[in-house]
Amino acid sequence: MVKKTLEEIKNNLKDVDVSETSYAERGYHIAIDAKKDNLVSVVEFFDGRKLYLADMCCVDYVEYLELVYIFKSYEALCRIKVTLKIEPDKPSAPTISHIYTIAHWYEREIHEFFGVYFEGHNKLIYLFLHDGIDHYPLRKNLTPVTQEDKVLLNSFKPEEEEDAFFINLGPQHPSTHGVLRVVLKMNGEYIVSADPVLGYLHRMHEKMAENRTYQQFLPNPARMDYPGALFFNLAHVAAVEKLCGIEAPERAQYIRVITCELNRIASHLLWIGAFLADLGGLTPFLYAFDDRENILDILETATGSRLTYCYFRFGGLYNDIDDNFIEMTKKFVKRMYGRLGMYEKLITKNVIFINRAKGIGILENDVVVHKYGCTGPIMRSTGMPYDIRKVEPYAVYNKIDFDVPTGTTGDNMDRYMIRMKEMEISLHIVEEAMKGLPSGPFNAEKIPKKLKPPKGDIYHAVESTRGETGVYIVSDESDKPYRMKWRVPSYSNLMIFPALAQGTLLADAIATMGTFDLVIPEIDR
Amino acid sequence: MGKGGIYLETKDPIIRFAVVQKILDLARANSLWPMTFGLACCAIEMMSTAMARFDIDRFGAGIFRATPRQSDLMIVSGTVTKKMAPTLVTLYEQMPSPKWVIAMGNCAISGGPFVFEGQYNLIEGVDLLVPVDVYIPGCPPRPEGLLEGLMKLEEKITGTRRFPIPEKKW
Repeated sequence: MVKKTLEEIKNNLKDVDVSETSYAERGYHIAIDAKKDNLVSVVEFFDGRKLYLADMCCVDYVEYLELVYIFKSYEALCRIKVTLKIEPDKPSAPTISHIYTIAHWYEREIHEFFGVYFEGHNKLIYLFLHDGIDHYPLRKNLTPVTQEDKVLLNSFKPEEEEDAFFINLGPQHPSTHGVLRVVLKMNGEYIVSADPVLGYLHRMHEKMAENRTYQQFLPNPARMDYPGALFFNLAHVAAVEKLCGIEAPERAQYIRVITCELNRIASHLLWIGAFLADLGGLTPFLYAFDDRENILDILETATGSRLTYCYFRFGGLYNDIDDNFIEMTKKFVKRMYGRLGMYEKLITKNVIFINRAKGIGILENDVVVHKYGCTGPIMRSTGMPYDIRKVEPYAVYNKIDFDVPTGTTGDNMDRYMIRMKEMEISLHIVEEAMKGLPSGPFNAEKIPKKLKPPKGDIYHAVESTRGETGVYIVSDESDKPYRMKWRVPSYSNLMIFPALAQGTLLADAIATMGTFDLVIPEIDR
Repeated sequence: MGKGGIYLETKDPIIRFAVVQKILDLARANSLWPMTFGLACCAIEMMSTAMARFDIDRFGAGIFRATPRQSDLMIVSGTVTKKMAPTLVTLYEQMPSPKWVIAMGNCAISGGPFVFEGQYNLIEGVDLLVPVDVYIPGCPPRPEGLLEGLMKLEEKITGTRRFPIPEKKW
């Protein structure tokens, strides 16, 4: 796939600077150095190949700013990094939001954090920050907000129309799962348009990363995505390990798989409860939390905390698992298989639930998915078996045989069924990993106290409960990351909501949003 | 919002009836209706507290209301950002008196782990915005912690503790 794509790029894009990079060191296969005049043609080429825009970020190198676009294929492992250098004073770049819809949001984000103007962007207003901000936060030198931008601060106001009726869904609303705000323009009970407003929980993780050493940043990722804390922990740890060339011992890798899969079940259980509560059924909430508490007990014995785990370390783990852990896990797996049958009786076969979920919120595969960069169960509901655990195996997922469940129609029911199936598969993975668990050390030897990775950048992704969680780290040989950008699945997944909500009933839109399994701190970072 | 935030005082009634007041306080302390105001990680622990194992309903505080008009307890469970602050104050103002606030978790107490030099988006403690009755430290606090915080609030309202503090065995 990589060779073929490289060949195609060289044949089709004649005046572009293309080079092949080492995947093992950098996490991407092809690097393209684009110019302002050929960026759009490069992106259009990828759009034609149905690659998705996994991430887009900006890095401030003081002498110049660099825009980084990461493209990925749904079919095989092929990751392409496109860079574009721009001048630091009055930076501007051509927009690609007319090609990739998700870029509309990424560009707004870059605009407010770096002050980059995207020529041709139709709505470059602030998305995250509050109206008191006076500088571009992620620039290395203090850069005050320009006069034109001050006008755009907090300028989100619904357009005035006499007949229109606006509903603010959030920031305090039980079914937005946190502090998301969506402005809905209504026509009676039908939604005319939906517009997400973010930033009510922007906790500056990326700025903090630049101020802290790699070790000091360890507790942070867990607070980005608290239901699936271990995945973010793993993404950070694995990326730094790759960057420094540290190899974690096999026992640690197995334990990482076991704990991560347990965490996945806990996260899905939380989702079931919350989703059904959105639909009005509060009973499954109580059942799901009962099972979830069992997982938390197990993970607490190993990690020491109930929710925001900080368990993985560079080159291994915080501590080893003991016989008690294994005993409890075995007991839980046995119990959980039985409980899945109960959930089927309780929820899946419930007529009211079926009517609320079937044929609603249909996501069509070939039209939108790659334009938004959707991943995880939302993308798999359209029928594509894309799972990072399969495509790009990390830890020891390549040694364990498991299925990737897919849907057929891409409606709410499919997304629900996939998550139910995934819990079963996770149980299977836990069982398999426990069988193969080797003895030996759980920490790599001779890990320096002060990590100073070599100069360069890396992109590493894991499959969290919501989809592809990636982290892009730029190192400048110091003990702190020069820039750390998180690619979070909920961000891409949420942005498809305006398209799905258009023209549907308000109650159905809530159901659709429920199936997205949004975690807001992850989106706001 | 003023410079150091604002304080909203809840005024005592002009006429007081000693015995009636005591009965009312007892009733209030045993049926606190919290508002569902999940902000961040602590919200999940707040949900856990409401569920079967910890069962906040045992103490009469299990009826989570989605609207501030029907609730008298605001559990600020998570980080308060500058963008969220005006909304939080509005919600507090919408709650009918008498009303109480619990700051759950380090973020709501002082900004917690997210305070660093040059931070641009954080309210360092929800007590800069609204008066807080009980602080529950932890990141996040365990459900037992939230329950203990609830006891403390009951103690504040009625003047007596529901359970005696168990003797230390170590």
